[in-house]
Amino acid sequence: MHNSSQPRTNAPSAAGEPVIEVRGLAKEYRVFDKPEGLLASVTGLFNRKSRVVEALRGVDLQVEKGEFVAMLGPNGAGKTTFLKLLSGIITPTRGTATVLGSVPWERTDDFRRRFALVMGQRNQLWWDLPAAESFRLHKEIYRIDTPRFERTRDELVDLLDVRKLLLRPVRDLSLGERMKLELVAALLHEPEVLFLDEPTIGLDVVAQHSLHRFLAHVQAERQMTVILTTHYMKDVAALCKRLVVVTEGSILYDGSLEQIVDRFTSHKIVTLDLDAPPDPAAIDRLGFPCEIRGPQVILRIDRTRIADVLPGILRGQGVRDVSVEDVPLEEIVAEMFRSGSTAGTNGATGAPR
Amino acid sequence: MTRYISILLTFARACLVRDMTFRANFVLECVTSLGWMAMNLAFYLLVFTFTPEIGLGTGWTKEPFFAFVATGLIINSIVQALFMPSAEELTEMVRTGGLDGILVQPLDAQFLLSMHRVDFSAFANGLVGVGLLAWAIPRLPQPPHPVAILLFPLLVVCGVAILYSLVIMLAAATIHLGRNQSLYDFWFYLTNFSRYPAEIYSGPWGGPLRALCTFVIPILLVVNVPARVIAQPLTGQGGIMMAGTVFAAAAALVISRWVFQSALSKYRSASS
Repeated sequence: MHNSSQPRTNAPSAAGEPVIEVRGLAKEYRVFDKPEGLLASVTGLFNRKSRVVEALRGVDLQVEKGEFVAMLGPNGAGKTTFLKLLSGIITPTRGTATVLGSVPWERTDDFRRRFALVMGQRNQLWWDLPAAESFRLHKEIYRIDTPRFERTRDELVDLLDVRKLLLRPVRDLSLGERMKLELVAALLHEPEVLFLDEPTIGLDVVAQHSLHRFLAHVQAERQMTVILTTHYMKDVAALCKRLVVVTEGSILYDGSLEQIVDRFTSHKIVTLDLDAPPDPAAIDRLGFPCEIRGPQVILRIDRTRIADVLPGILRGQGVRDVSVEDVPLEEIVAEMFRSGSTAGTNGATGAPR
Repeated sequence: MTRYISILLTFARACLVRDMTFRANFVLECVTSLGWMAMNLAFYLLVFTFTPEIGLGTGWTKEPFFAFVATGLIINSIVQALFMPSAEELTEMVRTGGLDGILVQPLDAQFLLSMHRVDFSAFANGLVGVGLLAWAIPRLPQPPHPVAILLFPLLVVCGVAILYSLVIMLAAATIHLGRNQSLYDFWFYLTNFSRYPAEIYSGPWGGPLRALCTFVIPILLVVNVPARVIAQPLTGQGGIMMAGTVFAAAAALVISRWVFQSALSKYRSASS
């Protein structure tokens, strides 16, 4: 499964060195279709129909020390499968990967001591016990000496303001409180690499904001390498400079947040606030796709023509206010998901990092 | 090793804290378990009102037989307390993907998965077993040889190891199947054979069954060999059985380890 000639150094990585290297990583599952109806179910006991599902189709990715990479994709795109492979939970069908110089699915203790995985939809703290008990267990499992454990725990607990929750059984906590404590547990052993699988799923805006601030602070402070999978653009915008867009097991885009706008949109959004609702025919004559909402007009104008056409538009329409913005990231990504664009596919990546 | 013991103690502590959080449940579990055991003991007492010995000339008269029952209680309570709760939970962990969290931790996965839950209420039966053994030993027809007293704990450990290996292999099946809720039932049926002296398995049906449960699935060695050492005189054949039990325990541990690791390598993880 893995190439034995891969580098196998376990020394701490220096800034700029690749911490994660993935080549042609693929994962296939054989799934059995369950037929509908009683007779078909009984027949299916003896003759099951199976098919192969490609969760990942030969992904290449390189992540350097200290990078905070967001992985965005619709449900079933292969994001979680990718993190499970990098964490060594499952083994790939093809391809190679090293994280911190180790092959993840060999599951060496040395490797597992150096990373952490937080899954937003899975609870890793002991359900019936206070988080303090889970932390104590974590200390033993990760062999953290007492002074370091207490220092790190206190620092994380204070940053997230969760000291008062430590002695409450986890089952009595809200989802947001639980996720904060999951993060504390994951960071107690000061991992060099952190995999976050939809950590903000189901959280309210306040909790999301609090986690964003915390993650940004801890990542910058520790120079941790982080891969975050999410459905929320807010997570991406708040935390990451680099974005990887995945659909159907392949990487559609890998580059900077800024460049995704340049690469995948040809226009800008110009919003005009007028004195009064305009004459639709007059707006149509401008020759740009538009939307009229009372006295507000939203135009989509080719970015190369903005400077030429904007002065004319402003002169003729009784404009009180104007804003020129990029197409929202959500819209670009949603369009990418829909079209399954092959632009920038796997390796044809975006901005220099 | 020290680290693993320390982690086991931390698990045990966490489980005790949890059990004490649900005290009524803990007491109820102890009472249920002790009640079931008391009914069994009453049944055996009833049997001895009809016959002085289980199988003519086998040596399993009342006191030796209760030493046998006590040995079984001790061995089963250790397995029920230390390994069964984790193995049962594994079924749910595989189905829900909770196993993912275990596999990323820097510890032997088999250790974590088979020992992270301790059921303290299951020790209640073991304590009664120790009491019953203490009652039976002075009343045995022949007091146990000092060597037998030394060998007894070793053979109890071997019995525990054989049962542990079976639990682990049944749990490994869970990883392959994705769901295996009959784990406990199957375990109960299988270990039922170990609850009685091997001598009762004789005749055209009993003979092959005895061979199967001794050489293929060595379930008959689990209680029979340590109980025989403590309750009956040491013999040459007993020595062979003891050596066989030590070998069976070691082989069972090796095979179960291989089966479990092989199952883990095929783990698919549940979709999130």
